[in-house]
Amino acid sequence: MAKSMESWAEELPAEFRHRTLAEILRQEAAWILGLTAVAAFILARWGAQFDYWQYVVLASWYVGLLLAGVAWRPLQWATVASVLPALGAVWLYAHGQTAENNFLLHYVLQGVAAAMWMSVLLLLATAAYLLHFFSGREAVGRWATRLTWGGVIFGFIGLGVRWRETYLGHPSWGHIPVSNLWEVFVLFCATTPLFYLYYEKKAQNRSLGAFIMPLVAAAVGFLLWLTLAQHMDRVEPLIPALQSFWMKLHVPMMFVGYANFTIASLIGAAYLLREGSVRRRGILAARLPDADLMDEVMYRAIALGFLFFTVATILGAVWAARAWGGFWSWDPKETWALIVWLNYAGFLHARVVKGWRGRSMAWWSFLSLWVVSFCFLGVNMFLSGLHSYGKL
Amino acid sequence: MQTMSRVHSAQSSRLRLLLQFLGSMRLAVSLLVLLAIASVIGTVLSQQQPYDNYQLQFGSFWFQVYRELGLYNVYRTLWYTGIVAFLVLSTATCVTRNGPRMLRDMRALPVRQRHAAIRAQEHFFSTDAELSAEGMANRLAALLRQAGFRPRLEREGSEFYVAARKGRFHRLGYFLTHLAIILICAAALYNADIPVKWAEWTGTLQPAKNFDLPLSEIPRSAWMPLHNPAYRGIITLPEGQTADAVFELAGDGYLVQPLPFRIHLRSFHVSYYSTGMPSDFVSDVVLYSPSGKVLKSGIIRVNHPMSYDGVEIYQSSFSDGGSLLHLQSYVLGMPALQPGQLTGRVGQTLQAGGSGYSVQLKNFSLYNVMPRTAVGDKPDPKNPMINLGPSYTYVVHDPHGGAAEFKTYFSPISRNGQGYFVQGYRQALGDPYHYVYLPVGPNGGISLFLNYLAALQVAARGGAQASPAVFQQIFAMLAARVAPNMSTAEQGRFVQASLNALAQMRDYPAPFILRLQSFDHRWAAGLQVTKWPGTVPIYWGCVALVLGIFILFYLPQRRIWARVEDREGGSHLELGASADRNKREFAREFAAWERALRTSPRKEDTTLNC
Repeated sequence: MAKSMESWAEELPAEFRHRTLAEILRQEAAWILGLTAVAAFILARWGAQFDYWQYVVLASWYVGLLLAGVAWRPLQWATVASVLPALGAVWLYAHGQTAENNFLLHYVLQGVAAAMWMSVLLLLATAAYLLHFFSGREAVGRWATRLTWGGVIFGFIGLGVRWRETYLGHPSWGHIPVSNLWEVFVLFCATTPLFYLYYEKKAQNRSLGAFIMPLVAAAVGFLLWLTLAQHMDRVEPLIPALQSFWMKLHVPMMFVGYANFTIASLIGAAYLLREGSVRRRGILAARLPDADLMDEVMYRAIALGFLFFTVATILGAVWAARAWGGFWSWDPKETWALIVWLNYAGFLHARVVKGWRGRSMAWWSFLSLWVVSFCFLGVNMFLSGLHSYGKL
Repeated sequence: MQTMSRVHSAQSSRLRLLLQFLGSMRLAVSLLVLLAIASVIGTVLSQQQPYDNYQLQFGSFWFQVYRELGLYNVYRTLWYTGIVAFLVLSTATCVTRNGPRMLRDMRALPVRQRHAAIRAQEHFFSTDAELSAEGMANRLAALLRQAGFRPRLEREGSEFYVAARKGRFHRLGYFLTHLAIILICAAALYNADIPVKWAEWTGTLQPAKNFDLPLSEIPRSAWMPLHNPAYRGIITLPEGQTADAVFELAGDGYLVQPLPFRIHLRSFHVSYYSTGMPSDFVSDVVLYSPSGKVLKSGIIRVNHPMSYDGVEIYQSSFSDGGSLLHLQSYVLGMPALQPGQLTGRVGQTLQAGGSGYSVQLKNFSLYNVMPRTAVGDKPDPKNPMINLGPSYTYVVHDPHGGAAEFKTYFSPISRNGQGYFVQGYRQALGDPYHYVYLPVGPNGGISLFLNYLAALQVAARGGAQASPAVFQQIFAMLAARVAPNMSTAEQGRFVQASLNALAQMRDYPAPFILRLQSFDHRWAAGLQVTKWPGTVPIYWGCVALVLGIFILFYLPQRRIWARVEDREGGSHLELGASADRNKREFAREFAAWERALRTSPRKEDTTLNC
């Protein structure tokens, strides 16, 4: 009798079946053991030089990657696909190879070259998503996804290799490559499609790519302009205010927030366009996922972005307390971060507690893009303050 | 008696209305958005500038309007603090109103639930099966276990009840986030030093307006108490000097905060990367007790503050600390005169002999790193910056009230084999400098140039033709006397350079040239001194906030209640469930359960064969 009870329940489709810890450990053994081995190696090799914050960082990376990889399996091989080539480049550099005398480094692996590959792949991916959207051909859509993965992986290879490159020639210059506009744009171009891919998988629908990837393509365009016209791809040393451990945490977390907010606002735009299209029975209504799903994905993206944005802002405050003498100085960048935070706090309250849905929330999410972009770029361009790094 | 109770109830209903208003979500969302909009002001309008700047920018009418609104320091105004306080009040009301219900929610789930309550859940379905009530209840429990729940079963007579829940402590997220906001705002208000702000507002504390007073002459009404619980002030401390008070900007004046110790700056040091960019700013500091005992010594760098007894000292800026400059003044057109000697510290104003001109020594900088292209050099991608060495700026006031600012480089630059002293001048503060390139003679000074200049003036007065040949001739005569070793090529270059300099000097606004002969450099470090005891509670508030947000978004509460009763030939199941986040996902999950339960095998014996 008891046996048959279990067999009935197995009629529950796999996607709704809860995985027990033992099952997870068995199914994800390679990922879990691999990550553990890497963490153990890092501890054994460099643990002696760690202070307690480095333990915290290593533990956060370990737990974060572990959980993210279990929750979203493609992340596992994507991590391997970005880390291995980056380590390969580091190995080449360690053996006296340089971008001048090594073909592979010169054309593929060195930070700038990998960022260029990322740019090309993301531009192709954008074109493929648009083609997929208007032609409706599934094969094109699959290629769009693959190209996006390629771009994301090259972006992270580029950032990883560049981290090593900042130490080459000038060991005192070394820093995580998130210190100038060029570097953070590479980060933005790699992070936004990565999170988009996650939502694409969740929603089982590729049509949103035609809305999100064009903005990524625009960011790529800006990155290319920075590279070709402004030569901002050169490695430069850090000013004293940026020479802090906290930069490693504050900036990347901020970009998880920016990426998710960007995705949410573009879904908001798609939602609004779809609404118009439903009345005219246009192509948008036919291709885009139903309104509820878009509403849900929008909310999920904002929730995740909000969590990371909160952490990043707090880390920024902790850093400010070390560098500027106070955790809050009402510097324009800080204030705009607060504005973004308040804005999304308002959004989440309205949605979760008041239960607002649909058109008004889509508008809210879409218009927030301007607030977020101003916080990301506008403040540095139009306002002066402690984040402009013009001074000490 | 009756009227009194009516008044009482009217009052209590008014209070209830007020509480309802304060705790309402509409108010909370409006306050969040309002606060966001109000915050924009302080980023568009640069804060805490000297009031003269604002007056220039807005004109006197709008200047006053904005000043009344407090827009020059928005985040410290009563109205801004008021919005924050209102938000805190609204949050606190919300927590007290919803708290008890949420606490009840976290208690253990009752397994038995009434019909109506099950039907009232967001998702509900009922079905008949040929299984016995017990079999159906077990079956449902097994299904829920597969879905990751831990269901509980209870039996009452012939009826079976099943209940399950995930995310029991979801409501904890609500408490953590909202209490964190209250804690953070309260601690921030404490750091903002309300008593002092109050004293300032009531007028017992009055900011001093004169920035040139020595510390001892600043009126006592501008001094804050020594045991102020929280403060944040700045001090510019020259090398070798000691300070026991810091300054806090307030409106268009400042307040003085005495410190419980004295800060002595032993030395200040800037180091540079090979590109010429500064790589580090280091202050070597000793802290003394008022009685002169050494409390602590060490270095303060950017990102590495010094902490003593709850007070943090940060490296925030640097400037010249009064370098000693030895200057020589050459009067134009009078080369026979011995150059005059002037000596003074940066910040001082010197009288230039009896001429009526005064020289205000404004600044000295030890390094001037700039792009090669900016000084007309060949671009060099490997080494794009060039260090022009020390420079000093000074303002010359003439006897008629005019003034001009000069910027002069200490070391000559070399171009095409000829050395030049670079001297910039401007007559208005915002203007770009006009540069004059004075040729350096074979003895390394500018006397040859000045002699040549005088000789040309004499010749011009004597009616000589202004032609290149004449210029050459006059210089050859001069060189034969004072610089006999110059080659013809050198002479040619020097003449050309001198004529260029003459053209550049057409509007030179002073009758003399100052040359820096030597200097004794002294830095001043800008230190920020902060006492913010509210910081630690704020960090705990931040931890609670993040934890709370995580719980709210990622540990949603899902509750399931079911009731199974015997029906003729089988059983009747009623299943209700709801989720308070990720509802769409849960709806799909619930639909899958419904499918599974509806399409179940009809007879127990057939299932036994599986």
